[in-house]
Amino acid sequence: MRLRRLLLATIGALAWAAPVAAQDFIAGLPREETLIIQGPAAQNADWFNLWAPGGGANPNGNQQLSADTLWFINPEGSGDSAWQNALAASRPQYNDDFTQMTVELKDGIFWSDGEPFTADDLVFTVQTQIDNPGMNWSAPFTINVESVEATDDHTVVFNLKAPNSRFHTLFTVRWNAAWIMPEHVFADVEDPLSHTFNPPVSLSAYVLENYDSNGQWAIWRLRDDWERTSIGMTLDEAPAVKYVVYRTAGNPDARVIEQLNHNLDVINDIAPEGMFTIARDAADSTTQWLPGFPFAHPDPTLPSVLLNNQLDKLSDPKVRWALALLIDIRAVSMGSYRGAANIAALSVPPTGSAIPDYYEPMQDWLADYELDTGEGTVQPYNPDIAQQIAELVGPQWGDSIPEDPELRKEMFGFGWWQQDPEAAAQLLRSAGFTEQGDGWLTPDGEPFEMKLQVEGDNIPTLARAGTIIAQQWSLNGIPTEVVVAGPTHTQRLDVGDYEAAIFWTVETWGGHPDLSFFLESYHSDFLVPLGESQPPRNLNRWANEQLDEIIEENRTVPFDSPRVAELGMEYLKLAVDEMPFIPLMAYNKFAPFDTTYWTGYPSIEDPYSASGPFWSNIRYMVVELEPAGSE
Amino acid sequence: MFKVIRDLLRYNTEFLAGFTLTLLVLVFASAHFWTPYPGYNLYLLPPDMPPSTEYWFGTTSRGQDVLWQLSEAVWNTMAFGLTVTILSRVIAISVGMVSGYLGGRADRILMSINDTFIALPNIPILLLVYFVLREEMTWPLLAVCAALLGWTYDSRLIRSVSLSLRSREFTRHGVFSGMSTWRILVREHLPYVLPIVFFTAMNNLIWAISLEVTLSVLGFTDINRPSIGGMIYWANQHQAIISGIWWWIAFPILSIVILFLGLFMLAMSVNEYVDPRSRLDRMGGVA
Amino acid sequence: MSSLTAYILKRFMQFVFVIFTGVTLAFLITNLSPVDPVEQSLTQLTSFGASDPRAVEMMREALAELYGLQGNLFEQYLNFWGRVLRADFGPSLSAFPTPVSKLIANAAPWTVGLLVTSILITFVIGNVVGALAGYFRHNRALKVLGMAIMTINPIPHYFLGLILLILLGYIFPIFPISGGARMNMDIGLNLSYIGSVLYHGFLPALSLVLAGLGGWFIGMRSLVSNIVTDDHVIYAELGGVRRSTIFSQYVARNAMLPQMTGLAMQLGQIFGGTVIVEFLFNYPGMGRLLIQGIYRGDYSLVLGVTTISIFAVAVAVLLIDILYPLIDPRVKLG
Repeated sequence: MRLRRLLLATIGALAWAAPVAAQDFIAGLPREETLIIQGPAAQNADWFNLWAPGGGANPNGNQQLSADTLWFINPEGSGDSAWQNALAASRPQYNDDFTQMTVELKDGIFWSDGEPFTADDLVFTVQTQIDNPGMNWSAPFTINVESVEATDDHTVVFNLKAPNSRFHTLFTVRWNAAWIMPEHVFADVEDPLSHTFNPPVSLSAYVLENYDSNGQWAIWRLRDDWERTSIGMTLDEAPAVKYVVYRTAGNPDARVIEQLNHNLDVINDIAPEGMFTIARDAADSTTQWLPGFPFAHPDPTLPSVLLNNQLDKLSDPKVRWALALLIDIRAVSMGSYRGAANIAALSVPPTGSAIPDYYEPMQDWLADYELDTGEGTVQPYNPDIAQQIAELVGPQWGDSIPEDPELRKEMFGFGWWQQDPEAAAQLLRSAGFTEQGDGWLTPDGEPFEMKLQVEGDNIPTLARAGTIIAQQWSLNGIPTEVVVAGPTHTQRLDVGDYEAAIFWTVETWGGHPDLSFFLESYHSDFLVPLGESQPPRNLNRWANEQLDEIIEENRTVPFDSPRVAELGMEYLKLAVDEMPFIPLMAYNKFAPFDTTYWTGYPSIEDPYSASGPFWSNIRYMVVELEPAGSE
Repeated sequence: MFKVIRDLLRYNTEFLAGFTLTLLVLVFASAHFWTPYPGYNLYLLPPDMPPSTEYWFGTTSRGQDVLWQLSEAVWNTMAFGLTVTILSRVIAISVGMVSGYLGGRADRILMSINDTFIALPNIPILLLVYFVLREEMTWPLLAVCAALLGWTYDSRLIRSVSLSLRSREFTRHGVFSGMSTWRILVREHLPYVLPIVFFTAMNNLIWAISLEVTLSVLGFTDINRPSIGGMIYWANQHQAIISGIWWWIAFPILSIVILFLGLFMLAMSVNEYVDPRSRLDRMGGVA
Repeated sequence: MSSLTAYILKRFMQFVFVIFTGVTLAFLITNLSPVDPVEQSLTQLTSFGASDPRAVEMMREALAELYGLQGNLFEQYLNFWGRVLRADFGPSLSAFPTPVSKLIANAAPWTVGLLVTSILITFVIGNVVGALAGYFRHNRALKVLGMAIMTINPIPHYFLGLILLILLGYIFPIFPISGGARMNMDIGLNLSYIGSVLYHGFLPALSLVLAGLGGWFIGMRSLVSNIVTDDHVIYAELGGVRRSTIFSQYVARNAMLPQMTGLAMQLGQIFGGTVIVEFLFNYPGMGRLLIQGIYRGDYSLVLGVTTISIFAVAVAVLLIDILYPLIDPRVKLG
């Protein structure tokens, strides 16, 4: 009895004291001047050196708010509007054979400690990293740069070791890029690899105010001289956001609760059901990328069923096609994203400029596409899949699903392959597989079984997609076991220790048709035998001569040439023929915003900036936000 | 044996209640052998249906019937917990009693091993073993690993009882009258130790099931196999509590609570039966 | 006196043996893990930036050298012991080049504070209520309380924490659900900071307390109810000794001995429910640090945290062994 009374008294006392504490959520910061963003836990909280490995604190606002480099690409934009000159005054200028790149820098930019930013900082950045192997951009600089020099305070010339029309992408931010180092700080540092750079000297509009040594939060404050930065120069008036707080906010449930309690303005990622709860319970105080269902923001990455092309049983495109035709994408969309997926039949994410550049112009080609099953031909493309998914979610979401089929395509994607077990069986037979009982034997006489590897709860939607695809394969005669690899997922993909897996091996600039961002590493020169570590991205271990030709030509074509998109289409058609991996959908992220204190977040109607909290591009969102009630 | 149970059921209401509750859970768990929806299959039913006459415990966001899913989950979880408990009891009793009785060098060696195992932090070790074995880490193997980590605390407790018993007079009488060590341990000491064994078995079962939940919540078990922890894992993946799908979490918790209440009452009443004079008095006590 | 010295010396030797075996085993298991820290770091570094595959190869070699993973297993093992003895667990792989000892030093006070407080509260409440319930076996209020504790007892830490989080952090948003203290405060022994720490630690501590009560309660109640029927207690009752004296002097004291053994061990058992509770409440302690280390394939961090816990438990066990003959003189030394 005493215990219960004691407990009740304690809870009562704390409940009485709680509102007093809750008023001041972050000590000393006016809530109406503070933007609170979900950040990752920084393991290395005291570390602000972005140029040496161990940057545990990087996505805690350090790279988003205080670092800067030459150019940015807005993954949501398209064409010229996607390109932003940051520290550079103009686009990169190459000589005719792409062995020299010249950069002009803006004038009047200062570091937060008052030192001017000059061409020497850029030269120092490149030279220091070449001199110190192990620094983050040391290897690409060493491979590419013959020499670098500042011809005056605002001009830098790079002489390259070999022609490379994509050299500037090292300084072009989609998520991050080679940041510029302050020469006046690092010149006196003995070992730039072990220098903590704490407190960091900022080159952008915000500067570090305070941080938690346990890595739970970091607070950034608007610089008094914010106009003297590349982002400040573009603004007409001072940003309304005076403080930006990056905080870890616990598991997905806790994130939802914190946003409903108005303690978290920007969420990075939650499960679809959490998003639906916010949309249902807090519609008046939240907004997100899409105004209604499916709400999500599509990242320019392409979750797919990766197939290990180097395994005998998966080396035949017919087998890979059979696996694709056994998938009912509607069930995958419903199960993984509750229908809120943006499905993709082409091997490029259906986001940003890829829609006008690739998806729209290629619809007719896809509809006419004929697949030879060995016993006949089928036209596997079903352009009405988006329509069907919209009808499946109709009962739950009713009016928020538009009637217009064009709008539905924007929400649910274009078409996908029609599930066709009969055609799949024909393909398997013509690939030398034989039916036995309910299952199949490979040409070697082994039972045809699959293991489908997923990462697990780190990316819940994709783990869910994996279990559904495994079930569909199993029900159609290919017994499939789901393997949850957890933190070993990427390593096992890396050395080819998998059969099939859910992951992405295609990422794009988002706002530019050039595919070099991932395609460069698909060249067969980089392919290694099973068991050895495959360089990033071609985890499918796909080798193809035609593909090599496309990649080689792309290296010599200027970044903005119309030929780039033509080469992109050649790659996409080849990927449909070969089916090296089975593209599923864009990586939709549920990232709602709280509008209690701030408005003006980017959305599909006004995609002026990327909104992913870990992306460096979010800086363009932070400076545009308006206090709630000011409009 | 049956006579004992019959007598207990007739005269001991605590035993009757515990027996009924445990049997209830067992029957419920056994029902999964006749399940219309095998636990591995997804999206057979409309998702997120609240409890109703059609779906008594509702359906999950994965289109599974909670009732049948839970039936299979309870069975699997109990199988895991009991395996851990039985294996670790065998080790704990053997090591504890032998160590306490023999004393001296044997005691020191056994306790050194015992203390070494105590000093190993369970959760990280199990996680690391899981990393090494990955999907080869089946549930029986996990149960063995858990049992190897889960006996140490109890065997120390048993040893401390044994240690006190060793200096008791009846032990000396036994030794002088030529009883074998084995006989003394089983006939004279085991009755004193058994009550402790029942209590620790309770705690061990709780520990084993908590372990299963902890590892599953972190995603480090075979998540496709229905289990109490696995159900919670998937419920979390779908943010069930936040979304108001409470039945996906509430019924698994309820089933564990009923099971443990039943087992606890059984343990308490069996303890009284085995040891009517509460002979535990002398363990560490003043003569 | 000399036999006591010999006893303590023997126990100390055993303590050394425990540490040696534990650390060795932990090291071996960690090193058999397939998680490759260099690949893990490379993935982190390259997965979001456009990197030339040739550049990745160069980076891989540079990292392997930096992370000190070169040399065979035995050399790494000797290296590790050298570092343990210097209380230096090397640089963290995932937070390179910050020393692991610094990360642990940052996190340890949170876990120790949370753990010690909640275990002591649990121990006192669980044993007092358990002893009362065992002695006054027919008191209805105590029976109800016992049933309540027993009902809560089997609920795993995670569920308890989750229920508390939903109840007191969401439906009635009274308590904070994340972090160890309010952000941006002056850290130190000032009233508002201490208050904030207690306020933030309330739900995690309550989860641990509720989950731990049952164990002490059951143990104590059964011990006491057994002692109550013992001859000396019955004689005392017949002899007219006051019930409160019997309870505190005859019954509770005798029952405390085995419970004390359990307490010392619990104090050392860092990774009971705290790992999952810290994970749930995003509490900045060693449990959360450990999970992060495992997820990120951070060998040195996991080894560091594990070693610290092995030391803590070993010290606790040593202390009991040394104290036990003082409490129970009939236990023969040696």
